[in-house]
Formats: sequence, C-alpha cells, structure tokens
Amino acid sequence: MIPSGGFVAALAGFDQMTIARLKWLLAERTPEQAFAMATGALAVSKPVASLFSRYPDLAARWRAEGKRHTPERSWQRCVDAGVAVVMPGDTQFPAQLLDDPRCPAALFVRGDLDVLDARRVGIVGTRNATQRGRETASEFGYELAVAGVVVVSGLARGIDGAAHRGALAVEGSRPVAIVGNGPDRPYPRQHADLWAAVAERGALISEWPPGTQPDAFRFPLRNRILAALVEVVVVVESRERGGSLITAREAAERGVEVLAIPGSLHSRASAGTNQLLRDGATPATDVTDVLVALGLDQRRAGRARFDSRPRPRDEELSLLEACRGEPRTIEGLLLLFDMSIAETAMGLARLERGGWLRETGGWFEAVDQWADLA
Amino acid sequence: MFASISSAVLFGAEGQPVNVEVHVDKGLPAFNVVGLPDESVRESRDRVRAAVMSSGASWPRHRITVNLAPSRGRKTGSGLDLAIAIGVLVAGGSIPIESVRNLAFIGELGLDGSLRPVPGVAPMAGALGDAELVVPIGSALEARVVALGRTRPAAHLREVIEALMGDLPWPDREPEPLPVADEPVSDLSEVRGQPLARRALEIAAAGAHHMLLIGPPGAGKTMLATRLRGLLPLLGRKQALEATMVHSAAGAPLPPSGLVQRAPFRAPHHSSSAAALIGGGSHSLRPGEISLAHGGVLFLDEIAEFAPKVLNGLRQPLEDGTVRIDRSRMHAELPANVLLVGAMNPCPCGGGAPGACQCGDAALNRYVQRISGPLLDRFDLRVNVNRPAVDDLLDDQPGESTAVVAARVAAARDLAWMRQGGVNSELVPAHLEQFAPLESSARLLVRHEIEHDRLSGRGYHRVRRVARTIADLRGEPSEVVLEQDVAMALRMRASIGRPSAIGRVA
Ligand SMILES: [Zn+2]
Repeated sequence: MIPSGGFVAALAGFDQMTIARLKWLLAERTPEQAFAMATGALAVSKPVASLFSRYPDLAARWRAEGKRHTPERSWQRCVDAGVAVVMPGDTQFPAQLLDDPRCPAALFVRGDLDVLDARRVGIVGTRNATQRGRETASEFGYELAVAGVVVVSGLARGIDGAAHRGALAVEGSRPVAIVGNGPDRPYPRQHADLWAAVAERGALISEWPPGTQPDAFRFPLRNRILAALVEVVVVVESRERGGSLITAREAAERGVEVLAIPGSLHSRASAGTNQLLRDGATPATDVTDVLVALGLDQRRAGRARFDSRPRPRDEELSLLEACRGEPRTIEGLLLLFDMSIAETAMGLARLERGGWLRETGGWFEAVDQWADLA
Repeated sequence: MFASISSAVLFGAEGQPVNVEVHVDKGLPAFNVVGLPDESVRESRDRVRAAVMSSGASWPRHRITVNLAPSRGRKTGSGLDLAIAIGVLVAGGSIPIESVRNLAFIGELGLDGSLRPVPGVAPMAGALGDAELVVPIGSALEARVVALGRTRPAAHLREVIEALMGDLPWPDREPEPLPVADEPVSDLSEVRGQPLARRALEIAAAGAHHMLLIGPPGAGKTMLATRLRGLLPLLGRKQALEATMVHSAAGAPLPPSGLVQRAPFRAPHHSSSAAALIGGGSHSLRPGEISLAHGGVLFLDEIAEFAPKVLNGLRQPLEDGTVRIDRSRMHAELPANVLLVGAMNPCPCGGGAPGACQCGDAALNRYVQRISGPLLDRFDLRVNVNRPAVDDLLDDQPGESTAVVAARVAAARDLAWMRQGGVNSELVPAHLEQFAPLESSARLLVRHEIEHDRLSGRGYHRVRRVARTIADLRGEPSEVVLEQDVAMALRMRASIGRPSAIGRVA
C-alpha cells in the first residue's frame, strides 16, 4: 500500500501542474482518486473536466506523466529524502495557512512543523546583497534566535542565507525555511550545508515534491507562504523591483507588519527598502525594533558575541572608517587621504587580514563582527 | 639555351631561395611554368610576357619552359615575375649570362613593365645570402634592413635590362620612403586618475606579466592598454629583425626606417578567426596577429567574446613564444613573443559597486566559464578598472608621462636581467625562493590568504612573481620582497563573476 502522500507527490511533480490545478484535482476527491482522474483511469470531476476541455492536450500529457511520476516512485523519493507530505486535513498542517486565500494544496516538509508554534519573524532581502546587508541579516537572525524567535527565510543567496546563518549560530535555535524547489535539492548549491542544518534543527518547507527544479516562477509563489507563516517581516535590502517587495506586499495584505532597514540613498541594494519606508513600513534600526513589533520584552539577554579582532590604529583606522559608510575602491581612498598607493595597499591588506575589511570586485567594505555568518 | 636565376618565395615569415630555371628550345612557341605553381604563378606568365614586350625586348619565338626549383613546396606570390622575365631573356640570348651571376631578383611586374613591391621582401632578402639584390624601389628599404649584399632598387623592367646589358649604369634609385605606420604613441599622461590601473601597466611592462583588465564599459580599458606600448623597451636587434620579417611577410606597414623597433601593438577584433589571430590559413600561411605583435602587445578587447577555439589556440604560442604551423610537406615557425592584455566586463551587466550586479547565476556562470581555466592562468595580473572618479576627471594635474614611467620600467628590467637573466614573468616556482625571497611580514600576509582559502597554489606563485616586479620597480636593488610589495600584488588579482561565500581563490 502506497500512502496517499505518494499520490500527491506524484501529481505535484507533473509537468504543467499548478497549485490551482492540484487543488481542483483534490477537490472532494482522495489523492488516489485525483491521481486516477489526472491519468485517465477514472471519470473526471466537474472542475477537472472543464480544465481538460480548456487545454485539449493536457489529458494526454498527464497520462504520460503518470507513467513517469508513479506514486510508488514519488513516495520512495520522499522517503529517501526524509520528506513528509502534509495536507490541509492533517493535524500538522500549519494553522496559519488554513484560512489563507491561497492555501497550498500540500506541503513537502523536512523537519518538524511544530517549530511554527513559537514566535515567528521572516527575514527577507535581495540575493545581490552588500556585505553590510548580509551582516545586518546575520545580526538580526542571531539576535532574534537568542530571543527565542523562530527565524523564517528562503535560503536564497544573499540576505536569506545570512539570516539563517546568524540564527543557526545560536545553540538550540530552530529556524524555518520556505524554498521554491524540491526540498531535497539544495539551491543554490553553496547553501547545501544550510539546507541540511535547517532541516535538521527546524523545518524546511516546500510546496513542491522532491526532485522539483528551481524554476524562476516558483520563487514568487513561495513568498506568499512565508508571508502567511510569520508575524513580522523584516526586509533587509531590496532592489526597486525585488522579490522581497512581493513578500512585503503579501505580508501587508495579510495584516503582517512589515519592517524595513533604512539604507544609503546611493545603494541600489536599498532602493526597494527605502521605498517601503516611504510607503509606511516601520524602520528597523536594530533588533529591538523587531522585538517591539512582536510585543516582546525588548530587554535582551546578554548573550552578545565577543569581537576578538585586533583593533586597527592610525592610517588603518582612517581607511576602515572611510569604508564603513559606503564601499570604496582603492582609487576612491587615494583621493581621500594623503597616502601613497603602496601605503594604502598595505593598510588595506592588513585590514583584510585582521578581518575588518572585505574586498569584492575592487570594492572594500567594512566588515562587522557578524561577517563570519553573513 | 638555359638560364638559372636566383629569387625567393615566402613561407610564413621565412624566405626560401628558389632557382628559376628557364629552357628555351626549338619547337612550337609555348610558355609553361612547372614546379607546383599556384594560381598566382600561372597568372604571372601573362604579366611577364606583356612586361617584356612593353620594355622593348624581344620575346623568344620558341618553346619556353620555366621550372621553379626546388620543386618541393608550394610557390606563392607574384614576387617571381622579375626573375622569370630575366630568365627568359637570358635563355633567349637577349641578355648575357655572365651579367646575372651573383644577382637575385624579387618583384612583381605590371603589364607596362613597371616593378611593383610584394609582401615579404625582408625575409626573402634574408634567405638570399650575400647576393646582389634587384628589388622594386617600394621594397628597397625593408630589403636593405635585412640583406647582406647590395640592393639595386629599380622602377621598371627596362632599367634592369639596360643595366644587365651594360647599356646604362644601374639606376640605384633612392628607396621610396615607406608608408608611415601608426607611429604616434599615445602618452600615459593623458590617462586621468586610475592610479591602480596605471600601476598595473607599469608592472606589466616591467615584468612582462600578461594582464587582464576587468571593468565596466567606459572604464577606459582600451585607453589604458594602448598606453602599455610606450612603456615597453625598444626591441633588440634580433627581435626587431624578426618583427620586421613578420610585418613584411604580412604586408603590414613598416616604420620609416624599415625596421620594426618600437614594440608593436595589435588589437584584433573579437570576431577574428583562429587563422587571423594565430596564423596559418589554407595555403598562404600569412602570419597571425600574435606574430605581428611579436615583441609588443597583443590586446584582446572583450576577450570573453572571442570564440573558445580561437582562445584555445593561443595557449601553445603563449607557452612557447612561437607559432608552429605544419602543412603536409612544410613546417613554419613564426615568432610570437607577446605581452597579452585582455579586457572584459566583470559580468554581462557590467557590474559596479557591490550590490549593483543584476546578472542571474546561470548567465554569470556561462560568462565566467568562457575565460576560465588554462588561459586565465596565464594572466599574472588581473586588475579591476573602475570608471575614474569625477574628482580625478576635473583635476588638471596630468599624471606621470610615458617617458618617466618607461625609465622606471627599463631600470626594473635591468635589475631582473642582472639577477636571473630574464623577465620576472618567466620565474618558475623552483626559482622563487632564490630570486624572490619574502621578508617575514610579507610571508605572513601571503600565508593568511592561503589559510583563508583565498589563494590557490598557482595564485601564490603569481602573487610572488608580481611582487618581485613591484620590488624591482622601487628602484633600490633589494634582494628581499617586502610586505608592501606583496600587499600591492594582492590588489592585482581581481576575480571574475561573483565571489563565493568564502571569498575568492585566485
Ligand atoms: Zn552583472
């Protein structure tokens, strides 16, 4: 006997399957019946009949897909990847999603959904983040985890990963990730360690079954789930039309408070967050602002991280200070100080070695103590 | 009657002596050329005949057979016209055979008997030993640069015939000045700001380090690359001759002196074929851009846009300093000792300050892969070039001139020669400890990079070679490479694409 989760996993993996179609298939039918309908083995329900009549090729397509994605194989994939299939009728299904206008048809979960019983904050932002932005995300992730808050993010490159890394640095923390592809396929691949850690300690949630590719269209969809699952969303950095603005909008529509971190007017990475602030989002200048938004006691337990870096002095300190406000090139620094290029290069090399500066593409950014998690 | 006339043909950038053997015997009037002639040699039959008639000489009314010896190898080019014409006239009895002894003839004939220059006279002259050389006046300068014997510039076949018959003295016309090659060299003082990139140019010139300039459009990568030429030393006698041969063979303009002495600068377009860039081609074996850049700079702008096959073809020549071309029965070697300068955008969108890049991961990876691997390894210097700061553009203070920097470059090259007998880019890992030892604080800096996975083994050697050059440029003969030299070298290893979470390995 294959559990009904195998039938859902198979259906969700079909080519040209959408969340709406999956819901039509499952409407007043068991997963077994839905699979039989979709593959032509059972008379179709009214919504599915109308679907097939509108897309004449779909029935044949899905009949073929049924041979590729058999319930047996799909279930085996779930078992192999340690993925549970959770549907709205199940007791573990997150209550926050049940009355959502766009409730998922099923969730594919690694880890433990009970972590959603705690206080929950989403941290989102651009993949093309600045060093400063990633550090802020790590700092917030860390401090929120210290306060016992569950950090929810998307495990993407940039802000997402930094937030998770910050949260995971706190012993006993249980972060949650909402991902846009199969929960068994770490994406981006550099985040494989983060995926494993989140699944192991908290929960890693996807609307798509194991094996699903990271297609671009799936990412905006997962933002609505993230928005629905949290109490507060913090946008750390976002482009003028970034995906995290979609999350912010999804959150606002659901009455979830949106906080944004103010950024430099010159930084593209802060164009979206600054716009959010103009549109009425609450500015977050440190974690206290988030804790206040959650209604939590903002006096934080003194678990501050120890900064072990040797303090720079003299010219090195001046160079460091200059790179704190905004990233600088060596040319830009030479204009600011009366130093030779050799002296400047030497100062920068020592600051890099001391862990105070980081260089990318010829730009130097000051690194704060959160850099190792960012 | 029989005559044998010395001439030469071009193969690659090498001249090969050819004997033009002409038989005139009784039989029906005919004119045949044998000895693997190609299309252009066959065409020369008609030119030779018309030119001889136009010169007032009589065309033998007999069977004429021309053999090009040795018969091995494909004869190319119209430079044999003059020798064939003289051979026909000697064999036909119009010109005494003693008069052509120890003479060689190179040149194309016009139908009116005029003598026209051909490409490759320099290497051809070089192949003819100490023979007295009759050449078109347009080719006389390059012939004189190379020829061991006397050169006899002439404008018309008639002049040559008259001199050989003793009717008139050799005309010995003044060689025609060569069309001027792009002589004016742009000066470094015209570059505003860009202190890091200027420094990189100086280091590249001093250590002969291949250099990759990485920066957004409008950052002035081409402007910088063209300034490198003036920083390089003049070519030595041997290299100048090699470069002249290549230019002559390719029909490229030569400087007024006829000798290529200033470092060449070649900037082929990214649509160039492998044959255009490296040389070869179906049968003409024209030298490629890499040989035309011999002793100077080969600049590949938009290097990531070159076809991968073309870039791959650069590897062997860069390694050996020579292009080897093998054809069924011929081998040619073309000199190709160049300073390679590549320029590219940091990513497809052009990048910029941190957070400005809008490229997707897939597009970025595809882009990075176009210029990764073995070719990327050849670049000792990888330099981020940013658009100059506005303050720099407004600043009227001109930067250092080419002459000032070139003097430092020359001094640094001398130091390297005295120390290890070569340029620093040729320092092999085994010699780094001997010729480029690090002071202890410099060692700490490098070790930190390695420990943080930001320096690979190859990158380590690159940094040390470059730091050696930076130390040499300080001007004070210093055995030991200092921390400041390494710190500067670390600024010359930009990465392409997005750095990974751990930083970068270069
Ligand atoms: Zn980009």
